[in-house]
Amino acid sequence: MSALYLYPVWLRLWHWLNALLFVVLILTGASMHFSGTSWLLPFDTAVPIHNTAGILLTISWISFVIGNLVTPNGRHYHVRFRGLFKRLFAQMTYYGYGIFHNAPHPFHVTENEKLNTLQQLSYIGVMYGLMPLLIISGWSFLYSVYLPETLFGLGTLWVIAMAHLTLAYFLVLFLIVHMYIITTGETLITNLRAMLTGWHRESDHDNCANAARD
Amino acid sequence: MNKHYALNPGTRSGPRTREVWPPWVPHWTLVLMLAVVLMLGLGSPLVGLGAWVVPGPDTAAVAAAEQHDCLRCHGMATMAYRDPETGELVNLSLDKNELAYSVHGKLACSQCHEGGYDQYPHPAELSAAELNCVGCHEDHPENTDRLDFSVISQEYKKSVHATSDDPEAADFNCHSCHDPHVFRASLLGRKIPDIVAYDNQICLSCHEKLRDPLSSSHAWLPNRDKHWAAVRCLDCHTTLNDSDRPVSHEILSAEQSQVNCVNCHSQGQGLLARLYQYRSREDIEKQGFFTKAVYNQAYVVGMSRNPLIDWLALIIIGLTVLVLAGHGYGRYRAYQSLREQQAGTATEGDKS
Ligand code: HEC
Ligand code: HEC
Ligand code: HEC
Ligand code: HEC
Ligand code: HEC
Ligand code: HEC
Ligand code: HEC
Repeated sequence: MSALYLYPVWLRLWHWLNALLFVVLILTGASMHFSGTSWLLPFDTAVPIHNTAGILLTISWISFVIGNLVTPNGRHYHVRFRGLFKRLFAQMTYYGYGIFHNAPHPFHVTENEKLNTLQQLSYIGVMYGLMPLLIISGWSFLYSVYLPETLFGLGTLWVIAMAHLTLAYFLVLFLIVHMYIITTGETLITNLRAMLTGWHRESDHDNCANAARD
Repeated sequence: MNKHYALNPGTRSGPRTREVWPPWVPHWTLVLMLAVVLMLGLGSPLVGLGAWVVPGPDTAAVAAAEQHDCLRCHGMATMAYRDPETGELVNLSLDKNELAYSVHGKLACSQCHEGGYDQYPHPAELSAAELNCVGCHEDHPENTDRLDFSVISQEYKKSVHATSDDPEAADFNCHSCHDPHVFRASLLGRKIPDIVAYDNQICLSCHEKLRDPLSSSHAWLPNRDKHWAAVRCLDCHTTLNDSDRPVSHEILSAEQSQVNCVNCHSQGQGLLARLYQYRSREDIEKQGFFTKAVYNQAYVVGMSRNPLIDWLALIIIGLTVLVLAGHGYGRYRAYQSLREQQAGTATEGDKS
């Protein structure tokens, strides 16, 4: 049995707050977008909740960025370019093939590297790519009156609406894949438990396998 | 002056006559009265030419006193007479409160109703109907720095009401929609629903048949009444332009009116942009930064709807879920075969 303390308290708090906000934003966002559908929230209720959650998400995102700047957690987001494609390929063949044949996990969680390359790249894409764009498009809605009427010859609000919508769909997609992928740890709940307790535990058996491969 | 109001209008009955003066009043009384009026008038900058400045505190008091004088009679809710020619009841009463809040609420009555109304009975040759918003405001541009009455008048001349040859619209003019004693132009900072209600009431006061829930008019508009509470008739019934003025007076005919939902519900909300100018600037000053963000109305129903993106996204998400389910099933199978293998090796181990 090996145990690594990978998720400090602040990170876990941020993560679950972020998760809650995601769910709230998706529900209220869908209620606004598909307004009139009976099983969704009424439009008038959804709007202030969505706006509040959006503001909180902004704050939460900023704390995440700051957290990664001032704590060692940021190191997990430094991409190691050497062998990047090899590692990426290994990870993908594992998910696409090896996992069905009980092949050993190609990545071994360590204190310095808790994210596999595929994970790392997708988290960077989401947290430093999609999220800021989503947040900016959300705030542009709120303050659209101060923006020019047209953008690239199209109505500004329409451009913002389409951007916000597309980004939102991408993040829904991310959330679904994310929730599935975390079940691919050593056991179904290895990763979930790590995000709850902070401790990443693996049985020695697996460690031996990794050690043998290394 | 007050003695001239001896006749109580409440007791007036029968057909209304418009004699100037009873024949027994000698002409010199008129001359004398004129002199008295002039003398009183000297103290007041409101009487006479060149008095078109916004009333200051002292002139305001004079104006208020004069209003009070006239409203002794015209403030009575029941004050009306039946026009002997048309037989219609003409309402002569003014609502004090509405007057006070109107754009002309601080003006002396005599500023519009010149000469002679301070006497009773009023001289017959006077008629208020000739007074005209555009004339007076064009002659005295100093009374407003934000409205251009020439533009309003040009727009109005192109509107359905001015060009219609329907007999009902024959003597349509500014006063058909604006009672000068009541009108208060919406200003920045007023709540949008209030503005909408106020403006639409102007239109619906004549077009009252539209209110009938059974009327087929506007039946194509889903949630008709909700729209009428949320947008102005003007927003659909005027041209879509980039003007920075919140009101256009060029009311279009039915065929030309805006039927396009997308103009409001998507594509930059061209139509609503005009209405929302009332809100935009007021907001941050009056409400906190966050309140403004939370209770924000920039998003109208359906604005983000785009069938292409919706379908693409839903298909991709659906496919992903399917792939993940298949993946999960594959993993389950692998797990089962691993268990069998382990069980196999375990029993083998036992044997050996
Ligand atoms: C003693 C009551 C009384 C007072 C005070 C009075 N009025 Fe009148 N007013 C009437 C009556 C009665 C009529 C309708 C008969 C008529 O036109 O003489 C009338 C009619 C009018 C009309 C309608 C004329 C038209 O177009 O038919 C106007 C405008 C008017 N008054 C303005 C004023 C103003 C301005 C004052 C104050 C300076 C004033 N009145 C003070 C009793 C009064
Ligand atoms: C801004 C100019 C203006 C001021 C100030 C004004 N009036 Fe009028 N008034 C008019 C006009 C214009 C009409 C004719 C409306 C029409 O043709 O429908 C009128 C009509 C009237 C009438 C006839 C009934 C009616 O409502 O059409 C009465 C009575 C009257 N005014 C009384 C007063 C009194 C009393 C005051 C002062 C408290 C006053 N007005 C102040 C412009 C004014
Ligand atoms: C006889 C002159 C006269 C007539 C007729 C007249 N007005 Fe006025 N109006 C004034 C004066 C004077 C003021 C300035 C009042 C003040 O500042 O208190 C004014 C103010 C206004 C304002 C407010 C301006 C601002 O900058 O907020 C509006 C709006 C207005 N009038 C509209 C109308 C309309 C509509 C009509 C016709 C129904 C009309 N006026 C008829 C003299 C007139
Ligand atoms: C068919 C009805 C109608 C007619 C006729 C009409 N108006 Fe208006 N007008 C409106 C409505 C509705 C508004 C919006 C009121 C508001 O909320 O300020 C308005 C607003 C105004 C304003 C305030 C504009 C602003 O930007 O704040 C002025 C001034 C005005 N009208 C003057 C006139 C004049 C002058 C005429 C005659 C040439 C006229 N109106 C004829 C319906 C009408
Ligand atoms: C004083 C009464 C009156 C007021 C107030 C009024 N209207 Fe009208 N309106 C008429 C009359 C009369 C006609 C011409 C007869 C008809 O077509 O119904 C007309 C015609 C129209 C038409 C053209 C209908 C067609 O068949 O093409 C439209 C659109 C319209 N009005 C919109 C408005 C709007 C918007 C307002 C408010 C800003 C308004 N009206 C205020 C009396 C009024
Ligand atoms: C969403 C845009 C929209 C709004 C809001 C709207 N209208 Fe219309 N209206 C139209 C269009 C488009 C037509 C022409 C198609 C038709 O005949 O139904 C029309 C037709 C009309 C007509 C003439 C035909 C008829 O049905 O009698 C009148 C009068 C009219 N509107 C008045 C009003 C009034 C008054 C209001 C405010 C209470 C209003 N409209 C609000 C879009 C609108
Ligand atoms: C002048 C702008 C305007 C036009 C044109 C317009 N709408 Fe709307 N619509 C609005 C606004 C503003 C609301 C929000 C009403 C509210 O929340 O009370 C709304 C609300 C709605 C709603 C939701 C009502 C609810 O239950 O909350 C529907 C559905 C709708 N519009 C459909 C349409 C369709 C379809 C058209 C074209 C036939 C159309 N609208 C044209 C401004 C407009």
